Amino acid sequence: MSEQAIEIRDLRVDYGDFVAVRDISLRVPYGEVFGLVGPNGAGKTSTFKVLTTLMEPTYGEVSIAGLDIFEQAEEARELMGYMPDLAPVPSDLKLWEFLDFHANTHRLGNGKERRARVDECLELVNLLDKSDSWCKELSRGQTQRLVLAKTLLHRPKVLILDEPASGLDPLSRREMRMILQDLAKQGSTIIVSSHILSELAEMCSSICVMNQGELLASGSAEEVRSQLGSVERRLTAVVLGDASPVVSWLEGRNGVSGISADGTRASFNFVGSDEEQGRLLRDLATAELGLRSFEEGSSSFEEILVKVAEGNRES
Amino acid sequence: MSEKSKRQAAVPAWKIWANPIVARYARSRLRITGFGVQLMVVMLIAGFIFFAGRAAGVHQLNFDAVGAARGPIIPLLVLQGIVLLLLGTGQVAGGMTAELDEGVLDYQRLAPMTPLAKVLGYLFGLPIREWALFLATMPFTIVSVVQGEVPIHYFLQLYAVFVMAAILYHLTGLVAGTVMKNKRWAFLASMGMVFLLYTVIPQAAKFGLVYFKYLTIYPVLEEVLPFLLESRVGMVMEGYQQLMPSAKFFGLNLPQYVFTLISQAVLSFAMGLMLWRRWRKNDCHLLGKFSAVAIFAWLQAVLLGNSLPLVNQGDIFPSREFDRRFGRFLDTAAEGWSPAPAEALVMVGLYGLVTLFCLWAMIVLITPRTDDQMRGWRRARKFGKTGLPPLWDSATSTPWTAMMAAMGVGGWYFFAKSLMESRWYPGLDLTGGTLIAMVLVIFGGGLSIQALLEAKGKKYTGVTVLLVGMVPVMIAVIVGLNSDRLLPAAIWLAGMCPLLWPVYGAYMAIPIDDMPRDFIRAVPNAFWFWQGVVILLSGWLLVKLRESRKAIAEASKE
Repeated sequence: MSEQAIEIRDLRVDYGDFVAVRDISLRVPYGEVFGLVGPNGAGKTSTFKVLTTLMEPTYGEVSIAGLDIFEQAEEARELMGYMPDLAPVPSDLKLWEFLDFHANTHRLGNGKERRARVDECLELVNLLDKSDSWCKELSRGQTQRLVLAKTLLHRPKVLILDEPASGLDPLSRREMRMILQDLAKQGSTIIVSSHILSELAEMCSSICVMNQGELLASGSAEEVRSQLGSVERRLTAVVLGDASPVVSWLEGRNGVSGISADGTRASFNFVGSDEEQGRLLRDLATAELGLRSFEEGSSSFEEILVKVAEGNRES
Repeated sequence: MSEKSKRQAAVPAWKIWANPIVARYARSRLRITGFGVQLMVVMLIAGFIFFAGRAAGVHQLNFDAVGAARGPIIPLLVLQGIVLLLLGTGQVAGGMTAELDEGVLDYQRLAPMTPLAKVLGYLFGLPIREWALFLATMPFTIVSVVQGEVPIHYFLQLYAVFVMAAILYHLTGLVAGTVMKNKRWAFLASMGMVFLLYTVIPQAAKFGLVYFKYLTIYPVLEEVLPFLLESRVGMVMEGYQQLMPSAKFFGLNLPQYVFTLISQAVLSFAMGLMLWRRWRKNDCHLLGKFSAVAIFAWLQAVLLGNSLPLVNQGDIFPSREFDRRFGRFLDTAAEGWSPAPAEALVMVGLYGLVTLFCLWAMIVLITPRTDDQMRGWRRARKFGKTGLPPLWDSATSTPWTAMMAAMGVGGWYFFAKSLMESRWYPGLDLTGGTLIAMVLVIFGGGLSIQALLEAKGKKYTGVTVLLVGMVPVMIAVIVGLNSDRLLPAAIWLAGMCPLLWPVYGAYMAIPIDDMPRDFIRAVPNAFWFWQGVVILLSGWLLVKLRESRKAIAEASKE
């Protein structure tokens, strides 16, 4: 068996002249909850569509649990469960019928066995009491939960969830997050995309940030924050007297911009590595300008992604 | 989630009854609330036909019990045709589009079933209500057949072809539903197709394109009709039948039902192939390049194979059929029938037109869009190739178009030659000029459209076809209707339209002397002039296409 639940190599997706995914490679080990984040048009949904065999890429290799999804599509489909963004449901079926149909396509036993599994999944998403309702009568949140139940029916090894919390109220989001956390505890590999970044940070064991079809950063939530945050940080030097000499000292130094003074505080933006930042602050401390302390503004995930998205629009 | 799933073995695709998609539609479309009302209506109509037909036979037409029992068979067949062929086809197309529109089709794409199982699931699942309604009317038919003492093999022949036709039309509906985006349009277009197949297209069969009638149930119905009617009426029909030709395919003399089944099965296979490709890969062309050429070759073979054997006896000519059916009744002394040259002109023109239509259809199916070519180039480069492999969807369709055009010219030429050099037209011979005219029409019409489509895309080509194909004819009709003196101008204008090139081309082969002098002069002049323009235009378009391909290849290096 392959060591990776998901392995993508040199994946590229084009829509005419537009490059949706540009030669990305990534690996997701078994049991990981992997978050794919990025602004609209980053290439997340295209990546998911290729991953789920719904779209053929321009080129690239993709395997799930060691199975080449282009050569062994049917076997790969047995192993994966996919929940699309704003998942639709048929209007002419009841909840249990919808799930029974999908259980049947996955050959989950005879009618009785299938019904037991259907009820089990409905209970998992708190919809068992609506088993005989029509799919079209469900609210947005209930529909999302129903589709999650459909995704879980055949006990997939790999769950691929595209924006599973989109359109949900806070309570439903929380429920959804708890269900996914439970599944992760039970050993499923989950790859999930979302715009609710703080939730992803809480839930995912690793995260990957995409923008304009490229991978910008990947790793644990802290590592990604550090990688992206290092692009530009807001630093503040607090001095004993007037901060104007500090401003003069900072002007013209490498990586420094946006300097402003406010009484005893001099704030500025810095672009550079952690080592470069360390050197700058050491030099400032030894410059005899009455330095009392330093502060570093920590960027939240949302702020980082807003910056990424803004950069996206400007370019 | 640690619990092992209890998976059963995959169900073979041919076990339709165990197909999950069929089961899903059986559940939703056979609910008593919706299905029950329709079942009641259909049973009421079938019952009315059954009892009224028998009563009318016995009491009004004085048929015996056996003859009266046969009375409802044909009206019941019409009802079954409306339900299964017409409504069933519309339901398949509309249902498929609705699945696509609702977005639930992606779930089915991800279902671990083979593409064939999915095609069969939709084929028999979407129209399951229509199949059930059809089966509900069958007891009336069976009672009529048994009590009417209809030989069982005639009944089986008729219904084998009926079921095959239903499958073919439903497959066509599935293809339409897969391609079209609007549910209502898909529904109407598919029903329109069946309607045309039973009304307009059989008329083409009367003008030499005999194959088209084998796409309907007409041939087998005509063959078995004498045995489905009351014996006296049947005898009259049988008299007609003996005068009618049987199904011929080159040297083979096949029963009508056998050839009909073969014809429909081959087309069903082609439709199934298209759907199978789409289920296997969502964004691929409906037909591969090799399959398109093979299907085009088959169409040419059946068009020729069905028509050529009828030339010598004269059965291919529409006037012969009229003469046989009615001539002797109208004028018992009539002898020495011979076809008019105008009949050959129409038949040759129609053959060329149908060939051009088939060629265009294949070109639309296999010509890559700019996006496809770009992706293809990038993929090819990644695999270290220096060009696009010719069988890839993204590869140019020019050589394949040329190959099909060559087949089309061959078929058209043989058809015209067999007709003109038959014993019916002793004075006519096919000249080298006619062959050149045919080459220009088919190659010019095919390659210019292919180059335009590949270099500029569907919208640009559609607008061009509309402007060049329809507007000149409309203006020509208005000009021609205004004054006889303007007839030559109208002929020149209309000659621009590709749809009329085969007719003008046929006139090159079979000039009709008793036409107005202006007409006789204008047609050849207009034809050669416009063909000259087409040669230049096609050449220019092919150069442009080459440039466009190079530009795409360069752009794909990014």
